[in-house]
Amino acid sequence: MSVLLFLMMLTGAGLLVSVFLIRRVVRQDFDEATYGTEEEEALASPWDPLVSELSAGLFNSKDSEFVRLHCSPKLARRFRTERTALALDWLVQIRRQVNLLTREHVRAARSDSDLKPADELRLGFEFLLFQVSSGVLYLIIWMFGPPRASRLVGYPIDLAQRLRKMTDDLVPGGAQVAAELLDIEPPVNRGTSAP
Amino acid sequence: MHGELKFESVEAARRDLENRTLANIEGNFARLIYLASMRDYNTGEYHHEGMARRFSEASARQALAACHQDVFRRLVLCSLEELVDELELYIRTNCPGDSDMLRVWKMLEPYRVAVPLDCSPLTARYFRSNIRIALSILQSRRLPALQHPQSASPQR
Repeated sequence: MSVLLFLMMLTGAGLLVSVFLIRRVVRQDFDEATYGTEEEEALASPWDPLVSELSAGLFNSKDSEFVRLHCSPKLARRFRTERTALALDWLVQIRRQVNLLTREHVRAARSDSDLKPADELRLGFEFLLFQVSSGVLYLIIWMFGPPRASRLVGYPIDLAQRLRKMTDDLVPGGAQVAAELLDIEPPVNRGTSAP
Repeated sequence: MHGELKFESVEAARRDLENRTLANIEGNFARLIYLASMRDYNTGEYHHEGMARRFSEASARQALAACHQDVFRRLVLCSLEELVDELELYIRTNCPGDSDMLRVWKMLEPYRVAVPLDCSPLTARYFRSNIRIALSILQSRRLPALQHPQSASPQR
């Protein structure tokens, strides 16, 4: 019973964070459409494979340990804050790419006569799972910092890759637009990560 | 056929750049600064007179851009400890005895222009953040040595 309650609370928290993130992204999308920002440039430019490789550096604990040993506590705090902000932006960027991919799929699916409702439902469920898991990951990064979240990064990344494959299999034309998106590799820990 | 030839030409220019120029530059950070300096600040295009004559303007440009991305990628993906070593090597070989360099670099942040043009803003921010922290570590390492220079000499 208590496990079920815990899972329900976790899902609820994930959904709340997801709603917060979606609202934030929608708000940013509006601002970007009006004025243009760095993020818009990132989406407009070809997909940078380095972004996917960054996760290894962002989430490893080796750098944090090195800074802790060689820097003053003030500097170490600043480093932690910067890395947390970068890791959160990295996650937001991946969520944006998944959202873009899903939007493209929905657009392509509207004009597809061979649509299979069961497959679409499965895709919708995977999308929801991705939103919840990445929302929980966002919360953990924000609360505990990237090194402590390193073991959880792989799951939303796997889901994102699965979503890409599913959208491609269901409506091949829909995924062509976002073909370069989501070439994401799960982070390889360079150092020992804290659980 | 033409595309193949062009690819070969770029590859030849790249190998030439790596073997004749970059191999003689010590450390990836110095290589990065060198390659970034080959780029026009206004147009973002690379230019190397000797390479353009030897190969072609387009091949030289593409080879320089590819090497720049490659060196930048290596520095972005290395650990902070390795980056500190790279920076230390750069300072030792390019500005020996200049204790002011770290302060100037922290103020002016000249490494901002060393980022390749097609790099994403997130990667550029990550790189700048790492350089800033590496400079602070180097500064904190040098501070005790400057404050107590006699402590560096062996005790009798």
